Amino acid sequence: MIPGKYRSVSGRAANNVNCGLHLVIQTSSLPEKSKVEFKLNKETPSFSGRLLQHDLERNYSSRQGDGRVISPSPCNKSSFISSTTNVTELCGLEMKTTMSSLSAFGDSSIQTPSKSRIRQGCHSAGPNVSGDHIHLASSSMPSFPILQRSSEEKILYSDRLTLERQKLTVCPIIDGEEHLRLLNFQHNFITRIQNISNLQRLIFLDLYDNQIEEISGLSTLRSLRVLLLGKNRIKQISNLENLKSLDVLDLHGNQITKIENVSHLCDLRVLNLARNLLSHVDNLNGLDSLTELNLRHNQITFVRDVDNLPCLQRLFLSFNNISTFESVCCLADSSSLSDITFDGNPIAQESWYKHTILQNMMQLRQLDMKRVTEEERRMASVVAKKEEEKKRESHKQSLLKEKKRLTINNVARKWDLQQHRIPNIAPNQDRKVSDSSQDPSQLHGSTVSAFPEETGSLDSGLANALQGLSVTDTHLVEVDGDTLSLYGSGALESLDRNWSVQTAGMVTTVSFTFIEFDEIVQVLPKLKIKFPNSLHLKFKETNLVMLQQFNALAQLRRVDQLTIDPQGNPVVNFTLWKYYVLFRLSHFSMQKINGTEVTQNDMIMAERLFGILAHVASSELPQYRMISILGDARKKQFRYLLETKGKKPGLVNEENNDSKRLVGENTNRAMLNYTTRDVYNERLEEIKEKKKFCKMYMEDLVKEATEINMKNEALQKLWPQMFIELVRDAVIEIRNKNSYMKLCLQQITDQK
Amino acid sequence: MLSPERLALPDYEYLAQRHVLTYMEDAVCQLLENKEDISQYGVARFFTEYFNSVCQGTHILFREFSFIQATPHNRASFLRAFWKCFRTVGKNGDLLTMREYHCLLQLLCPDFPLELTQKAARIVLMDDAMDCLMSFSDFLFAFQIQFYYSEFLESVAAIYQDLLAGKNPNTVIVPTSSSGQHRQRPPLGEASVLEGVEASLFSQCLENLCDRHKYSCPPPALVKEVLSNVQRLTFYGFLVALSKHHGINQALGALPDKGDLMHDPAMDEELERL
Repeated sequence: MIPGKYRSVSGRAANNVNCGLHLVIQTSSLPEKSKVEFKLNKETPSFSGRLLQHDLERNYSSRQGDGRVISPSPCNKSSFISSTTNVTELCGLEMKTTMSSLSAFGDSSIQTPSKSRIRQGCHSAGPNVSGDHIHLASSSMPSFPILQRSSEEKILYSDRLTLERQKLTVCPIIDGEEHLRLLNFQHNFITRIQNISNLQRLIFLDLYDNQIEEISGLSTLRSLRVLLLGKNRIKQISNLENLKSLDVLDLHGNQITKIENVSHLCDLRVLNLARNLLSHVDNLNGLDSLTELNLRHNQITFVRDVDNLPCLQRLFLSFNNISTFESVCCLADSSSLSDITFDGNPIAQESWYKHTILQNMMQLRQLDMKRVTEEERRMASVVAKKEEEKKRESHKQSLLKEKKRLTINNVARKWDLQQHRIPNIAPNQDRKVSDSSQDPSQLHGSTVSAFPEETGSLDSGLANALQGLSVTDTHLVEVDGDTLSLYGSGALESLDRNWSVQTAGMVTTVSFTFIEFDEIVQVLPKLKIKFPNSLHLKFKETNLVMLQQFNALAQLRRVDQLTIDPQGNPVVNFTLWKYYVLFRLSHFSMQKINGTEVTQNDMIMAERLFGILAHVASSELPQYRMISILGDARKKQFRYLLETKGKKPGLVNEENNDSKRLVGENTNRAMLNYTTRDVYNERLEEIKEKKKFCKMYMEDLVKEATEINMKNEALQKLWPQMFIELVRDAVIEIRNKNSYMKLCLQQITDQK
Repeated sequence: MLSPERLALPDYEYLAQRHVLTYMEDAVCQLLENKEDISQYGVARFFTEYFNSVCQGTHILFREFSFIQATPHNRASFLRAFWKCFRTVGKNGDLLTMREYHCLLQLLCPDFPLELTQKAARIVLMDDAMDCLMSFSDFLFAFQIQFYYSEFLESVAAIYQDLLAGKNPNTVIVPTSSSGQHRQRPPLGEASVLEGVEASLFSQCLENLCDRHKYSCPPPALVKEVLSNVQRLTFYGFLVALSKHHGINQALGALPDKGDLMHDPAMDEELERL
């Protein structure tokens, strides 16, 4: 209810229309539940101007300057009911005091008539009051004047007394006015509050624009609800202990440095501490009814305890020194706050100001005197959501980065251990660590894109990316844009996963770090299948030591670029390595090696250096060797080659070329292949076995052969003698013809 | 057809000594390795081809080291193949490190041991400068000596060490040698002051070694010639002299003379065609 009213008031004020101004003093503590209502309708242009000025001051004082100090100054001839101005000063709050017990205190009696009358008095130089109706006389005590009013006055304004602009330096002793409810000492020179302790029914006490240095002498005024002490010299909030019913407390324009001694004011609704010297806001506990708190024009850097004010609706923090939202973050926890100003603070200059405030204070209806629209709120929430996401993302990113860095360090350490490098190179290791700590930043240039799960689905969600970056202690797999990075030999297993078609298609660069080249060779066929578009291979710390290792890369489908980091790849130190790569992988017609464009001259040079090797390998290698060197996969093509070999040379050449194209690789280079050390050793073992067998077999054969040979030789030696003997025997046998014939005949008959 | 030596040895030993067995074993081994393929185009043809390639020296290409070093013929063939394939590297004027030469060797023989390459490099380079660059011809000739005569050189190294230590190796190796002759030589104390060993004494020992050595060794006359030119020499001095001696190179027959090292018109022609 009240905020709505308030809004309408300020709106009217801003529009320079007539303003209804009410101060409502709700005194629930009073047993009779009395309500005092001052309804001040100001139609006079000057007043509305004044009001406007106040409103302006509050809303736009950045433009206006210190309007308040000037406006109530005595030189302003048409200063009206100062009490009301002060009320406006308080907060522009409607002042509505209803007091059921005071029927005479109706609207009519308090409104314009009273004002005009007092105004009149004011007009005739203040003493109007004292001249006719009020009599200031010296009391028995030398320093205090004694005030007496005529009985008419007393009857007319039985419950109020205005002593405005009386050049009073002390409070006069007011006699016989115990029923006074409203007392006005505006624009005097009073330095000390005195002589009013007998006015125990006083509800409204206005001491605006005096020279009071300390709050005192109020301990008996238990009914006081409105205490206006603006524009004085008060340094400390004190001595308010007994004013338990206080509803409005105005302390603006003093020299107060901190908020204190107010925690018992549980009925206080309005507290004005504008234009003081507050450096921060706290100690607000206990102000359970506070609905409005004016803290403009202080030097406040942070605000606390506001969330302990259950009724606070309006908080004015304009023109302070608040620069971060964190320093006022307790505001976000206040559920009642609906109107707040921050203009004139550093925070209001920030680009994030509006949406941060709106996002964190959803309950807000007005910000810097402007109504918060739904659109703005939505915008704020969108922006805030984005910001939050960004923050979360970056947090996750940095988390991942760190995780990644650690993993890479770990992998590097393992690698070093594996390479037996740790013990002798402590500084080297440091270098490594720093190196690898740089790596992530380089690799992380773009955002970590989605990484398929085991299921192979592609999801660009963050959670997935986090999950996708499968960090374990021994290896790391990462897809970053078009780059697949593998750290540690365990990472090679990732090639067995079901990569989504999209990811696989996107990856054009594959980078290997801390993996033995020989291990990489084993997964190259998989790589060829899973990442058909990979064009750029990077090797770092992969133990590339021999030229022949490059042979293994020939089996890939396509390689446009090759980057061999000198770190951990001694082969790069060779003079000829580039040429060998160009020669061996000439069928890829590579474009870049280690970032350098491959020129035509390089190609020619490579051919010149190694062409003979290829020629020798292809033309001089016996066929049986070719067969055993070429894998089964190539045998078909090879057989084709063999068949054509027998034909005419010219024809062969052409067909040769055709088949070369068919194979995609120079066959004369195909002989140059690489088998990893393990495989090779295995093969050597096999050969050893075979050799053993062959040796035994051959031994037997040769032995047999030599034995036969020996027998043969022995026979050869014996044969001439044997022959002679045989002939001699035969001759002797047939020498006696008759007996021989008989013998033969005998044999024949025997057979029958 | 029958050489006189044939009669001096039993058949089996003769075949073994002439490495015929080695090749026969290897042939069968190769046959076993690719029996399906070979059986398609004929075992007889395979054997023909095999022994042809042995004659041409192309049988060692991309073979395992144990086979390459098995016979002097294989070694010579390997040296020739190495020269043939990488002559262009030397022609290009590139100076390479030992490791890079080793890599080139490994292109032809994947399990070529680093040790041998290192030893060859040590002939060219000082001990403390093993990472230095070498020219192709320096390395090739040093490598030839080291590779072809590797067992011989090991024995020589042992003899050299014994001589250096003041022991008379002849008493160990050849007890019947003419030790009286040695006694008249200057005392070894003098030798210890100077670097290396006395050449003539060394020559004597090597002569004995060559007589008995069952592995191939350089022609003794040429070794003598090398040693006769100097008074004293060190082991590596001796190796350098061996590697630079064109007579030994000729006797070995694998490589052309140093002057013609870069010439191989037939291959150049092939290269042009490529």
